[in-house]
Amino acid sequence: MIVLGIESSAHTFGVGIVDKGKVLSNEKIMYPINTSGIIPAKAAEFHSGNAAKVIKNALSSAGISIDDVEGVAYTAGPGIGPCLQVGQLSAKAIAQELGIKIAQVNHCVAHIEIARILSGIDDPLVLYVSGGNSQILELANKPFPHYSVLGETFDIGIGNMLDSFARALGLNPAWGSSIERTAEKGSYIKMPYTVKGMDFSFTGLLTNCIKLIGKESKENICFSMQENAYAMLCEATERALFLTGKKELLISGGVAQSNRLKEMLKCISMDHGIKMGYVQNEFNADNGAMIAMVGERMIQNGKYSSISDCKIDQKYRTDKAEVCR
Amino acid sequence: MDGNTRNRIISEGAEAKVYSANIFGRECIVKVRYSKSYRNSILDIGLRKSRTKRESKIMAKAASLGIKIPRIIASGEFSIYMEAIHGSMMKDSKYGKSFMSALGSELSKLHSAGISHGDFTPANVIICGSSFYIIDFGLSEITQSLDSMAIDLLLMKRSNPKHFSSFKRGYSLWKGAGEVLERLKKIEERGRYKTRTLSTA
Repeated sequence: MIVLGIESSAHTFGVGIVDKGKVLSNEKIMYPINTSGIIPAKAAEFHSGNAAKVIKNALSSAGISIDDVEGVAYTAGPGIGPCLQVGQLSAKAIAQELGIKIAQVNHCVAHIEIARILSGIDDPLVLYVSGGNSQILELANKPFPHYSVLGETFDIGIGNMLDSFARALGLNPAWGSSIERTAEKGSYIKMPYTVKGMDFSFTGLLTNCIKLIGKESKENICFSMQENAYAMLCEATERALFLTGKKELLISGGVAQSNRLKEMLKCISMDHGIKMGYVQNEFNADNGAMIAMVGERMIQNGKYSSISDCKIDQKYRTDKAEVCR
Repeated sequence: MDGNTRNRIISEGAEAKVYSANIFGRECIVKVRYSKSYRNSILDIGLRKSRTKRESKIMAKAASLGIKIPRIIASGEFSIYMEAIHGSMMKDSKYGKSFMSALGSELSKLHSAGISHGDFTPANVIICGSSFYIIDFGLSEITQSLDSMAIDLLLMKRSNPKHFSSFKRGYSLWKGAGEVLERLKKIEERGRYKTRTLSTA
């Protein structure tokens, strides 16, 4: 079934086309971020100005026409309200025009599922790390199939911490990789480290790093911030591995692009003799293909919506979304 | 190891391994925090040292107050030797109201001493005959935080809801109990964690 997926939860407007779980195309455009971060109204305006173009690009690189599309899916949340709305409206217009089925996809579930499916993993412990979210999850079946949260951040997502600090330093976007590059020449200085069981907190670390600007080299701060933040995630992940006894580990989300984080998690997988899965960066960053992939499964399992029921939910929790496998 | 021996591994967690051991000819157990290859070595040594020190300090304080915990025999930079407790885990045992009430009262003693346990589940209580011991102070803290204390109660409640009223009766013995129970109610109402499946042992 050819499904077109639209992602617009934050600065990316992405359109992907999937057929029988295979990605046919994955096009995107990004709202240019500067030091003021994402301004919701401006980002939404940017998305609506570019929506038609990105959809057209996705169709042409998949080598199909709009009439070939058999189902449509969009990100219902979580995300920035005005941005989500653009994706929702575009998807509704396509569904209406073509008379095809429409599915409302949870952004976090889409990140996890595309990584799980493409890396050939079955039942993993999941570390989902992005700008707004940082969670450790496993698949649970009651009361419906969903990703149940074992541990998560008490305050901000890890990507949010990296971005905020990179902005404070005046680094260029993409901020995560700017920090990783700056960290390469750094050495370790002591930093706050907060893990409680399988939960963790990043605000203390962020505040400390901001206060150190000017007193320590930026290389040392970036290096130590990364070391502590990723070690916190690793400790919580390892605790969850012991608790659940899972034999597979999956890492997904925007921060899964970090080489240092993957290197650390590989150490843990090797220690435990388990399989570790992740996907190429194109699918870790926000993208439309992941929405199409989950949307196809939802529609095939009868989990589609009527156009009038299509909503957005800025705070759509990962564990509230039914997963179709 | 100073001529002492480490034998059978009893349990392994994310932070430490616990072995049966022998020290100065005496049977005991030893908890060792091993190095983690994934983290920076300065961070690794710092965490293992400070956590071992904190754990043994808290255990010594609790023991001095007569709280039912294993006694420390010796401690090193990354290891704590303590007396071996023979019994069965609470999670694998049958028990009644009087036990739950006594356990509640034991937790109240920890809290009135400003100690939160941090992982207060039936996997961390050993029952032996008519007595019991609270073990694993790896996540414990010296704190006045109502949240930390309320979370000790929450973990026990989630894993043992039908006995919680007896537990609460025993716990209510100390003067701070009212405030902690009030905070417990608030935590249970927090939106973010409503759907959350809290891990129970």
